[in-house]
Amino acid sequence: MPTFKLDERDIPFEQGDTVIRAAQRAGVDIPHYCWHPGLSVAANCRMCLVELMPPPGRPALLLDVLAWDKEKQEYVPQKKPKLVPACQQGVSDGMVIKSQSSGHAQQARAAVQELLLLNHPVDCPICDQAGECRLQDYWLEHGATKKRMNDEPIHKPKAVPFGPNIVYDAERCIVCTRCVRVSEELAKDPVLSVRERGNLAEIVVAPGRQLDHAYTLMTEYVCPVGALTAVDFRFKARVWFLRSARTVCTGCATGCNSFTDFDPRNQKAYRYRPRENLAVNKYWMCDDGMLDHRRIHEQRVLAPRVSGEGVDAKIALEKAAAALKQASPESTAVLLSAEHSNEDNFALLELAKSFGFNQLFQSGRPAGQGDDILRHPDKNPNTAGIVRLAKPALLKPFAELASAIDGGTIKTVLALGSSLSVADKTDALKRAQVIALASHEGPLAQHARVLLPASTWAEADGTFVNAKGLAQESEKAIAPQGQSLPAFRWLAELARVAGKPLGWKKLTDLRKSMAQEAPPASLPASTAPAGVS
Amino acid sequence: MEPLDQELDQAELEMPAEPMLLNVGPAHPAMHGTVRCVMELSGEVIHHVDVQVGYLHRGFEKMCERGTWTQVFPYVDRCNYVSPMLNNVGFALACEKLLGISVPERCQWYRMALGELARISDHLTCDGAMAMELGAFTPFLWMIKAREMIWDLMEEETGARLTHSFGRVGGMASPPTDGFKEQARAVVKQILSVVAEVEKLLLGNRIFLDRLEGVGVISAEDAISLGWTGPCLRATGVPYDVRKAHPYLKYAEVDFDVPVGSASDCFDRFMVRIEEIKQSARIIEQSLERLADSGPINVDDPRVILPPKDEVYNTIEGTIQHFKIVMEGLKLPAGEVYSYTEGGNGELGFYLVSDGSGTPYRVRIRPPCFLVTAGLERVITGQMMADVVPSFGSLNMIGGECDR
Amino acid sequence: MAQLLIDLVKQQFGVAVLETHSLRGDETLTVEPNAWLAVCRFLRDTPRADMNMLTDLTAVDYPDREPRFEIVAHLVSLAKGHRLRVKTRVGDEEGDAEVDSLCELWAGANWLERECFDMFGVRFTGHPDLRRILLYPEFEGYPLRKDFPADRIQPLVPYRDVPNIDKLSPFGRDEGMSFGRQTHSGPETDDDSPVN
Repeated sequence: MPTFKLDERDIPFEQGDTVIRAAQRAGVDIPHYCWHPGLSVAANCRMCLVELMPPPGRPALLLDVLAWDKEKQEYVPQKKPKLVPACQQGVSDGMVIKSQSSGHAQQARAAVQELLLLNHPVDCPICDQAGECRLQDYWLEHGATKKRMNDEPIHKPKAVPFGPNIVYDAERCIVCTRCVRVSEELAKDPVLSVRERGNLAEIVVAPGRQLDHAYTLMTEYVCPVGALTAVDFRFKARVWFLRSARTVCTGCATGCNSFTDFDPRNQKAYRYRPRENLAVNKYWMCDDGMLDHRRIHEQRVLAPRVSGEGVDAKIALEKAAAALKQASPESTAVLLSAEHSNEDNFALLELAKSFGFNQLFQSGRPAGQGDDILRHPDKNPNTAGIVRLAKPALLKPFAELASAIDGGTIKTVLALGSSLSVADKTDALKRAQVIALASHEGPLAQHARVLLPASTWAEADGTFVNAKGLAQESEKAIAPQGQSLPAFRWLAELARVAGKPLGWKKLTDLRKSMAQEAPPASLPASTAPAGVS
Repeated sequence: MEPLDQELDQAELEMPAEPMLLNVGPAHPAMHGTVRCVMELSGEVIHHVDVQVGYLHRGFEKMCERGTWTQVFPYVDRCNYVSPMLNNVGFALACEKLLGISVPERCQWYRMALGELARISDHLTCDGAMAMELGAFTPFLWMIKAREMIWDLMEEETGARLTHSFGRVGGMASPPTDGFKEQARAVVKQILSVVAEVEKLLLGNRIFLDRLEGVGVISAEDAISLGWTGPCLRATGVPYDVRKAHPYLKYAEVDFDVPVGSASDCFDRFMVRIEEIKQSARIIEQSLERLADSGPINVDDPRVILPPKDEVYNTIEGTIQHFKIVMEGLKLPAGEVYSYTEGGNGELGFYLVSDGSGTPYRVRIRPPCFLVTAGLERVITGQMMADVVPSFGSLNMIGGECDR
Repeated sequence: MAQLLIDLVKQQFGVAVLETHSLRGDETLTVEPNAWLAVCRFLRDTPRADMNMLTDLTAVDYPDREPRFEIVAHLVSLAKGHRLRVKTRVGDEEGDAEVDSLCELWAGANWLERECFDMFGVRFTGHPDLRRILLYPEFEGYPLRKDFPADRIQPLVPYRDVPNIDKLSPFGRDEGMSFGRQTHSGPETDDDSPVN
């Protein structure tokens, strides 16, 4: 592979790489605001300026400048090399580039940093970006100069609602146009643009429009400063208190890689962030997915119930076990859930096997809208996974279960999951004895004779298989809420109470037995590398 | 005791040979510091002793791994709580060593003056308590009165009598007050007169001398092997003082002597401390002489030092600087250093391991009196029960530092 | 000066020296664990080294590394005035670690190694009296390990049963002060504990 020299280090590159991209791949950080690996090059922030050394034997390209001489107290003519933006400069073999080691580049970066902060308001204490703000990081790393301008800064609009999800603060904006490019290039909806010039420049929404496409939160995500903030996350938490778990978005069958940011002190999830995975979601997530973290805490089933009354877990387990023992295999249906992980569904299948139940049905959230960017019409994260797990048996849709109940052939239903894919046939559940493990309120929780509170994806480790058939692992972020437990643990307990203990108790043992029995693609190959932006 | 009416030749004079297990501490009036000695006595002679420490363990080193580097200062204050300023300065020097910076000259002289005042307070407490435990209560009160003057001065300078939290990486929390030099000179003068009075009271006192001389002897080789440092080591005749052997701050530029003992008994340890008070007074005088009245007290490095408050409130640069240092903590470069200074009880070392983040990866405090207390067993084995009190007193175990 | 020492040790022990580095004037030498005692003895006894004092001995836990613990000793020669940091690496993933004791070289190693055992669970072979020192015998876990949560609450220690002692237990399990009586309820782990 050809290489070029960056600060005395040999960096390999591929044909067509820019300096910054090759450097980033090699793990060398060149400071930048406007460049993003998933977007086109704008080269307007000038933070990534580097010194390109002339080829041997050639003179350097020098510019005449006036530099302030402290001793003479006047400007004196000087020469300095022309710097190039690393995000735009293509590399060629043997090229020599100086970034950190170039005094000129350092000086230019300090100047850029000073310019960007010239009219910046003193907002850090009330700004949601504080703690993950490029302006803060780079000020300390490059320059760290004090303010020299004593004039009143330019004032611009603050807290402008751009749409249902995004609020804009023009004073904090550095006009890097990342958000403009996200709208245009990712969402294919060029609804944002820049108005005015110089220090009056600001981002505006097209007249008569709102920022309301399906990827608006990506504009906030790419914003390197606190100019764009999400209505959802605004003033909710300070980022340095949050910890991140590497999770998979369960909003649809795409299975975008994400970080779940949670506060370990109150065990509450606050937001999702996309996690880079070029094979699945590249750098992005859709709005529906980004806001899906709310379901971790909303509409939850947090305590066991028998016939709608809250009871002790022991009593609920005993009732459920008794019902299962009385049920005959011919009249009992097992309802797998595409909302839950492979581990949960595998545990359900194992339990069903030990009782001899072999009528398998599937359910999940109803289908929704999709697009050709990221969103999948199937709104369940694990449809492919349960189909694979149930093999060679065939999973029948819920509609058939409803008619079987109505026909009287099914009397007992052992169900996992909260939602049903068909809304109008839920009444059939009233006529059957339903034992449900549900994380959220819904038809199953409502009609369950015995209800056990299951944990959501954020409260347990789990494997999800996306529509492309890729098995991905989602890490546990927070502790199980209320009395809930991961469904596979409830099922293990249920089997124990019913006198037919399953071969495992812990997740690691479960995975071992899953590896033996289930098709190999049900387990995650390896987790994707941590993302960078 | 034998019955009086018994004839001596009829009664058995020997004490029963079976050893007695005596448990002294953890809270015992003649033990300064919470420590427990389980002694096996034969009559009054100690045959075997198990010294048990740890009653004041608060998990400092674990706590240090949670906050920022700056947040360690209050913890080190509470290690040696009779000379916290020395710990403050010691930790600041360790961080500065890892950062590769050194503080302005004015700050160095200021640190020296405050540090030596703290050392005097440490030695006054130790010698005073030692005298008190042997029944001489007056010198204790006098010395504590003198110590109180130092603490008043410290309060004037730092706002707290004892737990100053006054050190900062790259400087001090605030410059010397206007009256510092004048007050310090007055305090030192009074302390020296108290010390002179105490010497008059005690050094001619036969009982006091008999309790100390020839008691608690340890050889220099043993002391070195045990890792003893500070006054206890110097009492054995080894002239090891970090301030002379590896001068830090401006100790190379001041004139002072290292007192050593010859008999390495409790009396020598007492006298080394008395003498060190006088040497500290010399150092303070020279430091005050050279402490400039104006000039920077902190290094000029925005990555380390907090900006002035008006800049924090009025400029974004100041806000960012403040935010970075307070929220993320100042970042020490990845690596490890061992920095050592002369604490009240000997070599106070800090072994810092940084992973380059704002939170310490490991802060190891090398407590001088942990190792000195480790030698207690050797010092008192074979001694009489009553000798435990002066021996233990002269080692000056500080619970907070020993147990952390 | 200390560089000379390192060369001396390298000459003597060759491949047992894993690594050396120097940062801010602190010379560091990392040796194989099986050469630990021999290197230290060499440094103490060689006249050119003459490291007569062990100032400090501690450990640092790097849970992601293999071996997991670094045992760090700081040696000093009072006569020659030079210092050297000697390290070795021991311990597997579970924290099971064993290294030779330096007690026979320096008496001060006794307590330092006990503290190291107390805080990290590193066992020192040849130590005459290896037991907890700062913590009480019933303490569970090794607190300075990185995987020991700082807010873990220790179980209540039962009254120690000393034979032939006519004293009664001051507290029953449910009497006394409320603090310290809690049991640790950290985040749910995947253990065998029964449901609720």
